[in-house]
Amino acid sequence: MTAAGRVHRLRIYALEARYQFLMVLREPAFAIPTLLFPLIFYLFFGVVLGAGSFSAAAPTYMLATYSVFGVMGPSLFGFGAGLAMERDSGVLLLKRTTPMPAAAYLLAKVAMAIAFGAAVILGIFLLGAHGAGVELYRWQWFALAGVVLAGVIPFCALGLAVGAWSRGRAAVAITNLVFLPMAMLSGLWIPITIFPAALQDVANALPAYHQAQLALKIIDMDGGQTTLLHVSVLGVQSLAFLAVAALGFRRAGTGAVSIRPGGTS
Amino acid sequence: MNAGNRSGARSLWILAVAAGGFVAALATLPVPDSTAAPGQEVPESRFAVVDVTLFDGEAFRRNQDVWIEDGRVRALGLRLRLPEDLTRVDGRGHTLLPGLIDGHVHTFGGTRGDALRFGVTSVLDQFTDPALLPGAKSARDDIARTGEADLFSAGMLATAPGGHGTQFGMAVEPLTEPASAADWVRARMDEGSDWIKIVSEDGRPYGGEMPSLDGETIGALIAAAHAEGLLAVVHVSTIERALEAVSQGADGLVHVWIDEVIAEEDARRVAEAGVFVVPTLSVIASMFGDSTGLRVLDETDEELVSPMQWGTLGDRSYLRAGTEGEAALENVRRLHDAGVRIVAGTDAPNPGTGAGISMHGELRLLARAGLASDAVLAAATSGAAEAFRIPERGRIAEGYVADLMLVRGDVESDVSRTTDIVTIWKDGYAVARESAATASAPEIAPAPDGPIAVDFEDGIDAVSEDGFGSGWQVTTDAMNGGASTAELAVEGGALVVRGETKAGFPFPWAGAIWFTGPQPMQATDFSGRTTLRFRTRGDGRSYTVMLFGADIAATAPPAVPFVAGAEWTEVEIPLESFATADPTIIAGLAFVAQAPLGSFTFELDDVEIR
Repeated sequence: MTAAGRVHRLRIYALEARYQFLMVLREPAFAIPTLLFPLIFYLFFGVVLGAGSFSAAAPTYMLATYSVFGVMGPSLFGFGAGLAMERDSGVLLLKRTTPMPAAAYLLAKVAMAIAFGAAVILGIFLLGAHGAGVELYRWQWFALAGVVLAGVIPFCALGLAVGAWSRGRAAVAITNLVFLPMAMLSGLWIPITIFPAALQDVANALPAYHQAQLALKIIDMDGGQTTLLHVSVLGVQSLAFLAVAALGFRRAGTGAVSIRPGGTS
Repeated sequence: MNAGNRSGARSLWILAVAAGGFVAALATLPVPDSTAAPGQEVPESRFAVVDVTLFDGEAFRRNQDVWIEDGRVRALGLRLRLPEDLTRVDGRGHTLLPGLIDGHVHTFGGTRGDALRFGVTSVLDQFTDPALLPGAKSARDDIARTGEADLFSAGMLATAPGGHGTQFGMAVEPLTEPASAADWVRARMDEGSDWIKIVSEDGRPYGGEMPSLDGETIGALIAAAHAEGLLAVVHVSTIERALEAVSQGADGLVHVWIDEVIAEEDARRVAEAGVFVVPTLSVIASMFGDSTGLRVLDETDEELVSPMQWGTLGDRSYLRAGTEGEAALENVRRLHDAGVRIVAGTDAPNPGTGAGISMHGELRLLARAGLASDAVLAAATSGAAEAFRIPERGRIAEGYVADLMLVRGDVESDVSRTTDIVTIWKDGYAVARESAATASAPEIAPAPDGPIAVDFEDGIDAVSEDGFGSGWQVTTDAMNGGASTAELAVEGGALVVRGETKAGFPFPWAGAIWFTGPQPMQATDFSGRTTLRFRTRGDGRSYTVMLFGADIAATAPPAVPFVAGAEWTEVEIPLESFATADPTIIAGLAFVAQAPLGSFTFELDDVEIR
């Protein structure tokens, strides 16, 4: 490939990302809940009730967990619901007729999830810092942002798996069925140590739990398991989700990304 | 295509600006103000220790803030939101630990004050006077300023008539048959015992012989304790008795055995049975010549050491030759490797140990047995609390009692740093350490300069020429339940001691005691003097001089033998031959007959400390 060709290709990736970003911005049904819900939740539970709830350190704890929650939303919904709906509406078919590589479409969705995630966690950090007096060392602020944003990898993989196996409208409901219980059982709203032991065990199977534990490790508020354990579980689960997604697309019969309107029917 | 180009480039620009803005925004977020280091005054009851490395009972955590209020930990975590007016202790460069829990002590005199002064905020007593228990319970339930460690106790121990535990002079109700186990346990419950301690000991590993409870009675006691919801722990010193107790369902063993090193499969059995072990390496190691306890004493500011701690730590009366101390360490190593819960405990204040202070030696001995620093400290905090079901202690956690110890330096890398204590808090109040050396013992009276001598010209209330001392009295094992007798008379200007040593107490004695201080049994400082000199004659048998120092309740006072022959002879004993830390602190000198049993007569005259 020539240098010009490479630049051309990069432009295609950038444009696709930009258009997908503009598209979701213009779709309030996606943008408002994913952007505002984590902020409102944190404002209420972390800032207003925080210090008086389970611990005086609750605003700091929740700063990390609601940030994970905030990144999980756009990742799951962008991929899960977004992909299924675009497939059903035929947008995917249209895109497949262009010379754009399929990877550009997927990477654009990842970029969109990162952009939304970054916006959400910045909002939560500002609320925590100025509303609840949370203070962290500078390296901790940056490390927290980095680790939380890295969560787009497992969460996008999970979203992709859900999107590959469900129809457009059903995808929103199914994603919600994954999203909300997982957030709660992983300790993103309140620490799982408050739950009965059986429920705490369930958390060990959930990617959001391990993602949250990695984030909490930075502020020394994790449950004490090793970093290696969390990273390994997240890595294995991400690969498993991608495999499940690939199976779903193969079942639809058209390779990497299904292009048929009506999806799996 | 041009429009597309521009649009693509603009996308990249927007991306770059957004990323830059994100990073810039993160950089504006507030960080802790590290210049606001507070003064290191000792705060009380409501304060925070900030930016400290803490051991929470299981693991080390860095850069933590701990907020103490109303005697409990109100909150902890990284960068707490602390009220402006809260007093802060700068914890940087320090380690904050839960107050230590000594898993094997015996309580009397000032031991609980001595323990607290060395960061031991709770003691788990394995045999004491049951009369102490009701007071101890209300004291530990009251979260308020105190000068003593919380006491949790087995109360009276279960042993055979004349068995181990009956030699200390405390009332013991021995057992003879399994059928009485249930009633015996209920009697302990009524007295307020927190668990049941059972003795399985025939004395052989320590070169003696004594009756022990039989296996059936021990099994019945364990079952009876469990029926009442109490833990049952067993004193053992041999592997055979240890494994038997494990198979009988004991919850814990309160010594590690010294006769043999445990096989790995047996160690696994102990682990599977969920039995915990309190090795009491302090007393065992010192018995076989290990000097860890004395090294801790060397490192400690003298002002902090009470006369009783000096006396018991320096007491070498249990000292013997042998390699059993190494066997004990190896047993601990194997048990720990097999997953058996090890609980730190000292058996203080037995000879060779000191209340409180020996816990710091115990930590080092456990580290030497191969426990990592977090395992060592867990054994002395959360592990001890969990093993003995002690609530709200042994951890730094929200709602737990604020029993804390702030130590200089990094304890994780070196457990021996626990002696470098900056502050101890009990129930949220700082413990006054500096004044405590004299707080736990009666004041030591100074003796006038020069020799102190009595010649019995004025009878039995003999005092020295300048009126010092408080006379002579009979002393026998009757005070410990023995049957020996003695009587004193002054005949021809000399003290005549007649009596009989009889069976009834494992170490019978009878004779006369000279109270050398202004009050009977008041410790007196005879520094500068080096020798005990007296004249004696008698029936030709061997007698013993026992020196009672500051710790008048010492279980085994240091002793030196002498012989009273038919002719008057002068006996000179250098004070330093009494095996105690400071033999010039003297409360009384007892001249007694011991074994063999039988009647005796001897005379004393011109007794002099010079």
